[in-house]
Amino acid sequence: MKDSLKLVTKFSGHPDSRCWYVAWNPNGTLLASSGGDRAIRIWGREGDAWVCKSVLQDGHQRTVRKVAWSPCGTYLASASFDATTCIWRKKEDDFESLTTLEGHENEVKCVAWAPSGSLLATCSRDKSVWVWEVDEEEEYECVSVVNSHTQDVKHVVWHPTQELLASASYDNAVKLYHEDDDDWVCLTTLEGHESTVWSLAFDQSGGRLASCSDDRTVRIWKEYRPGNEQGVVCNGTDPTWKCICTLSGYHTRTIYDISWCHLTGAIATACGDDAIRVFEEESSSDPHQPTFSLMGHVAKAHAQDVNCVAWNPKEAGLLASCSDDGEIGIWSYQSQA
Amino acid sequence: GGDNLFDSILMADNRFHNEGYQEGFEEGVRVGLAEGRSHGAAHGAKVATEVSFYYGFALTWKCLLQNSTDARASKRLKTVESLIGLIQRFPHDDPSYENLQEDMERVRAKFRQTCSLLNVPVDFRDYVNGSHGLSF
Repeated sequence: MKDSLKLVTKFSGHPDSRCWYVAWNPNGTLLASSGGDRAIRIWGREGDAWVCKSVLQDGHQRTVRKVAWSPCGTYLASASFDATTCIWRKKEDDFESLTTLEGHENEVKCVAWAPSGSLLATCSRDKSVWVWEVDEEEEYECVSVVNSHTQDVKHVVWHPTQELLASASYDNAVKLYHEDDDDWVCLTTLEGHESTVWSLAFDQSGGRLASCSDDRTVRIWKEYRPGNEQGVVCNGTDPTWKCICTLSGYHTRTIYDISWCHLTGAIATACGDDAIRVFEEESSSDPHQPTFSLMGHVAKAHAQDVNCVAWNPKEAGLLASCSDDGEIGIWSYQSQA
Repeated sequence: GGDNLFDSILMADNRFHNEGYQEGFEEGVRVGLAEGRSHGAAHGAKVATEVSFYYGFALTWKCLLQNSTDARASKRLKTVESLIGLIQRFPHDDPSYENLQEDMERVRAKFRQTCSLLNVPVDFRDYVNGSHGLSF
């Protein structure tokens, strides 16, 4: 595992502030970052250096907690503690503010685009998850508000191919939603974490979901459809999501973020102990009871809490991270499995 | 007779304890019932105020939208009607209805979606904040 994860470069993304989140655009050429300075910055590679291509300012009054690129790469959505979500449109090299989505009572914690690009999900400290629909005229309309969690909702993520939404909350639960008769409803609740669930990531196929928590563990959940050979009980035609693996003993503080590489299958975690870790599934392990091994570990990856990790969607092994110290790190991971 | 005399002295503690318990119990039941009744009435009134507010809001918007020719009106009307449906199915006369809190959350969620679609700012704290959660 020695030196499998190497620092490529590190730069100050949000000086004198926290850098909360980084997101790669779909073709992996641009990195968007958001921070406590209320700004969103777009970074691109020029030679060996990463330079700031644009700054999206004046969209938000408070911290920008997360950003998300639309599947086409033309739009960027930003979720802010000012209770709003901004939609930005890329115009040549710059971005223009298109619209602001209002409705949440307080801090918006996360935003995510569905794979079709026509649905957007947001979640908030107000305990609700909202699903928005985008029409041809770039108008956004709320199609559903779901009050299913009993506490602050930290993260939302869409299934990579289906219209299935997952959310993580301060109430220790993960919930999955689908559309049912014009409304979005909670399909199932995944219970097991003993504290706040901070983030979620689907694998490339969408058949597995990884969750990370304040309880210092990562859990891997697998979908079992009705009539499965393993005899996992399903309710009617709905699948059951079962925890098939728990990674404990590796992290010494809260795990804030998790990224599942859709190219290599490697899982990266961002931890409050300032470290970045990479796990890989052992090739010989039983898919219903898999073993994941720690294959990369950088103890002092950042000077403070690591808030986010993101695998580049096109370049295998390229990982971006960001931290409370305001810095963004670019890492190269070489699998030694 | 001598034994009984000593018994009544020795057992006095026990007897008065039982009598005191009984009297206290009856008093407690009386006071508790009164308190419970008043808490139930107050909380019920809050829930009813909140739900009735949503109902009035929805009916008003239904009237405003049903003759509109705006392209967006039909979608909005559908959401308003869905809110009306939720409230009409709400068993407001059954105090022991077990899904009360759950249904209340669904009504609140639908109300917020409706407000978002209608571009009505959700700031009705004076009307709806009264019955958030059941507290004892």
